Formats: sequence, C-alpha cells, structure tokens
Amino acid sequence: MSELSTKAENTWCPGCGNFGILNAFKRAVAGLESEGVDRGRLYISAGIGCHAKIFDYLALSGLYSIHGREIATVQGAKLANPNLYVVAFGGDGDVFGEGVSHLLFAAKRNADMTMIVHDNGVYGLTTGQYTPTSRRGFKGPSTPAGSVEDPLDPLTLMLVAGATFVARGYSGKVEQLADLMAKAIKHRGFAFIDVLQPCVTFNDTYKKYNAGTEPAAHDPADFAAAMAAAARRDRLPLGVVYETDKTAFDRELLGEHNPVRDSLPQAGRLERIARVISRS
Amino acid sequence: MADEVFTLIAGGKAGYGIRKAGTVAAALFARMGRHVFQMDDYPSLIRGGHNFCAVSTAPGPITSHYTKADLLVCLDQRSVDAHASHLSERGVMVHDDKAKADEGSVGLPISAEAKQYADPELITGVAVAAALAAAIGMSESELAGLIEQSYSRGNEENVPYARTIYKAALPALKGWFRLNRGEKERPLLSGNEAIALGAVAGGLDIFFAYPMTPASSILHFLAARAEDLGVVAVHPENEIGVINMAIGAATAGARAMVASSGGGFALMQEAFSLAGMAEVPLLCVLSSRPGPSTGLPTYTSQGDLSFALNQGHGEFPRVVASPGSVEEAYRLTAELLGLAWEFQTPAILLTEKHLSESRVTAELETGKVAWAEPVPAAPGPYRRYLDAPTGVSPLLFPPSSEIVKWNSYEHDENGTTTEDAGNSTRMADKRRRKGESLADHLRTLHTVNAFGDKGPVIMTYGSTTLSVLEALRHGGIEATVVQPVFLEPLPWWELSRYAGRNVTVVEQSSTGMFASLLKEKAGIVPARVIKRYDGRPFAPEELAAALKAAE
Repeated sequence: MSELSTKAENTWCPGCGNFGILNAFKRAVAGLESEGVDRGRLYISAGIGCHAKIFDYLALSGLYSIHGREIATVQGAKLANPNLYVVAFGGDGDVFGEGVSHLLFAAKRNADMTMIVHDNGVYGLTTGQYTPTSRRGFKGPSTPAGSVEDPLDPLTLMLVAGATFVARGYSGKVEQLADLMAKAIKHRGFAFIDVLQPCVTFNDTYKKYNAGTEPAAHDPADFAAAMAAAARRDRLPLGVVYETDKTAFDRELLGEHNPVRDSLPQAGRLERIARVISRS
Repeated sequence: MADEVFTLIAGGKAGYGIRKAGTVAAALFARMGRHVFQMDDYPSLIRGGHNFCAVSTAPGPITSHYTKADLLVCLDQRSVDAHASHLSERGVMVHDDKAKADEGSVGLPISAEAKQYADPELITGVAVAAALAAAIGMSESELAGLIEQSYSRGNEENVPYARTIYKAALPALKGWFRLNRGEKERPLLSGNEAIALGAVAGGLDIFFAYPMTPASSILHFLAARAEDLGVVAVHPENEIGVINMAIGAATAGARAMVASSGGGFALMQEAFSLAGMAEVPLLCVLSSRPGPSTGLPTYTSQGDLSFALNQGHGEFPRVVASPGSVEEAYRLTAELLGLAWEFQTPAILLTEKHLSESRVTAELETGKVAWAEPVPAAPGPYRRYLDAPTGVSPLLFPPSSEIVKWNSYEHDENGTTTEDAGNSTRMADKRRRKGESLADHLRTLHTVNAFGDKGPVIMTYGSTTLSVLEALRHGGIEATVVQPVFLEPLPWWELSRYAGRNVTVVEQSSTGMFASLLKEKAGIVPARVIKRYDGRPFAPEELAAALKAAE
C-alpha cells in the first residue's frame, strides 16, 4: 500500500479531512488489487483546490485537471478506453459550482466513473469563501455579513439527476469510506460519494459530524427511501444511499468498440474513406 | 472559360426545400461530368424568411458560385424582388405565376399546383429541378429519374408535381441552354465533410462537439458515418465539456478532435490553455461566422483570425492553419492532427462558413495524407515531461505499469506539481523549445500555396482563396496569388520574398486582420486591402472588378 504514496511534499494543514480521504482511497485501491484489479487500469483526475493535491500524493496515472472540469476529463478518458477505471476527485466548489453542468450530465447519462467530492463547505485554497454547500449565514471574505443563500443538497441533486450509485462518507470514518470507494469504483455506471470533510482552518466540522452522523439503515435499492434518507437533516446517514443497475454510457454509445484498442491503421482508414466518398 | 459557366439561383422561403433543390442541381451537374460550386445562403431560422442557393457549374475548374444567374427560379414574390437584378445577359427568370415580375420572365403554376399535395410548401423546391430540366433540354422521363434518385421520400407526390411543372415550363424554356458534358463524374463534398474525412485519414479516433453553425455538419457527418469510418462522435452538454472530454480522451491515447464556431470556441479557451500546459495533443476546428457574439450565425467571415492566433492564456506553442480548398481541407486536417500529436500541443484548423458549407466537385487524393507517429516511450521509468532537447517528451498512456501524470499546474518532469522557480524556468523553456522544433519542422512542409507567377501579387488565405481564383478566371486577370496555408507559425521564410512587391490583400475582415499579420510577421506592407465583411462571400464578378481597378 505504501508504494501508492509519492515523494511529493504534503501541504495539507495538520488534521485536514483530506488525509482521511487519501488514506481511505489507498485502502480502497489495495482492496481492489487483492480482488485482481490492476492499479495500472486506474485513471484519476482532480479539479483545483486543496482536495486536488491528492493527485500529487497518489502514485497513479491521470490528469491534474482544472476547476470543475475533472468530471469531463475522466469521461473522455473512459470513452477513449473503456477498460480504464476512472475516478474524479472534486471539491464542493469545483463540482457543485464551476463544474455543475458536467456533474448533472455525467449522472444523467450514467457515465461509468467515480465522483469523490471532498465536501468541506468552504473554499480552502482561496482562503475561506462560502461554497455551494455552505450553510446560510456562513461568514467568509466574500460574504462578511453571512451567506444569504441556502446550500445545495448533493445527495438529492444526484438522485434526481439519475445517478445510479449515491453514497455519503465521512473523512473521519476511514474504513467505511474505503469500503464505499471500492464499491463505487466497481459500480458499472455513475457513482457519486459526497464525503463530509472538515477544514480545520476555515470550517472545522469534526464535532458536528462526529455527533451528527449515523449509519444509513434503509434499503438502498428503494429510491423513495433513498430520497427520504437524503432529505434527513437531524442526523446525516452515512453509507450507500442508493444503488441501481443501468447500462453505462460508454456501453450504450460504443457497444463493444474500444476507440484506443480498435484504432484503425492508416490503410484501413483510407479504404473506409474511399467507400464513404463513393457514396456521396 | 468563364463564358461556359452556367449558374442556377433558386430562392424561396425557408421550408420550401431550397437547399435540397440546390443539392439536386449540383448532383445533376456533377453526374454530367462538370465541375460544380454550390453555395447556400440562408438566415438563422427554420421557416419563412428568404433562402437562396447558387449553383455554378463549368466544364473546367470552378471555385466560386456566381451572383448573376442564367436560370433564376423564384418560388415567391420576395425572391423575385431580391434577385430580379441578378439575371445574366442571357439569363431567364422563372417564377411562381402568383408573383409579379418583369416581362420576359416565365410564370409557372408553382404554388397553385403544389396545393394538392400533403406539404404544399416543401414540395415547391421540386419545381427548381423541373424548371432546370426543361431549360437544359432533359426529357420528362430523365427528370422523373433524377427526382427518384435525389429525393429519399415523397416521390409519389414529387414526381407528378415535377412532371406538371416541367410540362408547363417546356414551351417557354425548351432549348434555352445547352450544357456540355464534362470529362468525368466527381464526388460532391462540402468543406466540413472533407475536414471530417481528413481527420479520419490522419488518425481520428473520437470526435466531440456541441452544435454550432457553421461547424455542426462535421458532427452530423461523423455521427451518421461513425461505424462506416470506425470512429466515435459524441455530443456532450456544452463546449467546455466537449474540449475537456477530448483532452481526457487524448491523455488516454485516443486521437481526438473538437469543432465549433467563435462563440463555442471562446468557451473552450480555458481548456485550450490546459492542453498547452499539460502538452496534450488536440485538434480544434474553428469554423468562422461573422461576430462578435451571436453575429450572423449562418454567414461567413474571417474575423476570427486574431482570435485563433491568440487562443488561450499563457505562453505555449500552437499551430494554426487554414485550407484554401475542399481538397486542401482534407489534406490539412490530417496533417494538423499529426502535428498536434507529434508536438503534443493544440492545433487549430481555421476555416469559414464559405468553405465549411459550400459543396464542390472535389477530387481528394485520399491516400496522399500525413500520418504522424508520435515519439514513443522507451522501456524503463517513464517521465511524462522528460526535458528532451527538442522539447518533445515521449508519449505513454494508461493502462501502464508506469505512472503517467499529465498536469495543468507547473510540474516537474514526472508530472508532479511544483512551484520551484528553477523548475518553472526549465519547463517554460522546454515548451518554448518545442515551439521552435515545431517551427523548424514546418520549414520542411508545404506551407504556402502560390498560383501563377506573373502579374501583381495578391495575398489571401482560407476560403477567400477560392473567391480570388475564380475572380481571376472570370476577369481574365493575370496575377500571382499567394496563400499561406499555415498562419501560426506564419511561414515568413516563404513570404518575405514578397516584401518589396506591390501586394494586394483580399480578406473577409473589416479591420484587415490578415494584412496586419503579414505586416507584423513577414514585413509585408500591402498596397491595398480589398475587404468584404457583410457575411457574404466575394462574388467573382465584383472581386474581378475590384482587382482590375487596383492594377
């Protein structure tokens, strides 16, 4: 497992929830490897923000993308080579702000990807502004009098958009989170994990989440029960909220075709071109 | 010979099947072995308004439509009013007999006869083929065959309607024109079709696009023939999704292309720079229409030249090139895709509505295309951004036992983020050297077209080259036409020889962007710049007059 680490200097704040996410992901990969999944088939991407540094800390291939676009990046990689397992790491600003159109469509089309949201309710790297999931009244440098917007509800949003795997994890519960990540990666379709993540510098929520979460206890195959679980505000259910089977986008679009594997040599292309021209 | 050019112009409302009528006429001329240039002029709407098509044909090469019609078919009053002055000296106007027109024109029961059919508007387009058939001496049964071959449905109505209009037209039109057959039948292709095919020839695996005129037909063509061509066409949520997916696909080893017009391309700028920094091979097609902003969505322009040259923020090498013909669009798209992969940087194929959507008889030399083999990685530890002397690092893709890290941040050779000052300089230098390698490589390629070697020098580029060449043919003008195919890096080493000459620039930009580029990069100060920027391509008649006046 240690060789999943890199030599990059870790610059997260001591106590940052990102450590829990990093450790959980390494465990998830180790678990997948023990089941015979070659880590070389993993393709990771990340947006921009504190969360994204995870790209440098994992000895895995992929593209360190730009804010909110990692969702599109990994979908492109998957369509190019459907044999890859693609994972996008995003922040809450990244995924629910800048990249929300990509997120909704990835869920809508059931793109086979894993979306891991480091949801800390604050823009950490840009020093503490409110995000799409910050509570009303959140005070940051752009909202000194407190945010006047209500937060988005990630789980409900994803359920309504058509996600076929929706889960909530907590960076403080690494073992459970690792299990969710492994399930999400193996899920053949759009898998979404909203990870509750304290930001010790700008939005320390450890106490809140330690006390205010509990294991999900409903049937994740039941959409209505999933919606009810997502709507809960008294205590936040952790675990798989919803899971269903649906043909993934790459399979719908490509069938058995793999654009990289099946890329034609020049001669084959020229023959096909000549045939198409002869019909025009 | 210009006097052997025959031009059909047909006009009517959107929804009258005008575009289809132009396609039928073009196919007929092509089957006669003649050369054809078909231009559709249509506003941004689905029903109503005024559409027209201009189809010019000649026994020899022809590179523009003409605006003086020999046969003018007006399906409504507005077409009569718009085009009555566009009749050639030997021309004849055919119009719906409900419309008022000058004496000497031929009224036909186009709308009256259409009333008995299911779609009395759409069917009127069939009258164009009927009138044309009568005017060029086709028999009624040949016309019926043409209709059967050309329209995929509704022929149980199209054929009787065509026969009726043909019979009505025959007394007035019979024998009006005689079109000789040409030497051989050639396929009809639009610029966008040639671009799509060229991309496939150059190695395209996957295409991403969001619809935007005039680039959309690349998406439509590739989507319709994806299986035939062995490629994939994807239509994501927006242009930002488009280019980021394409970048993701390229980093997984697929040769990817995107296409849009100015507005959609503006949305792609952020990711264009990502491709520059992460050194991702990517081909972007920018098909221009007049802007800024929504502008004239269905018309032509060269006002995006500076935008294409300066696409993206930050410093990184890129290639921009613009084809001057449908044949060149095929070759150049393949070449640019190869260059993007060889030098791992974004490339732009800049074109315009006039080339994208015009259809011509084209003889593609399909086998004469570039095929780039990117630098492969040697066995052993892999470094995505190996600081090679050429600036070009070897390529490797996941799945791999090696770690392949592409990065939007400044990075070290392994692709790991670092903000170290010395490393930043080294990596900026690496990208700059890569640009220099690219420029050196261009010196080994054919980068500038020159047509003719006598007379004054005319400089132009892109689809305006087509207009210039036809204007010279039409006006019997002798000139040297110089067309840089590559615009970034601009091949100054080829162009500087014209620096002291009396140069006329022809372009479709109001500010003279191309003239400015020539001055800045090649030291060429044009004596005059002939511009048109109303969204319409130059007409050969008009341009020939302007060129003669400039002599």
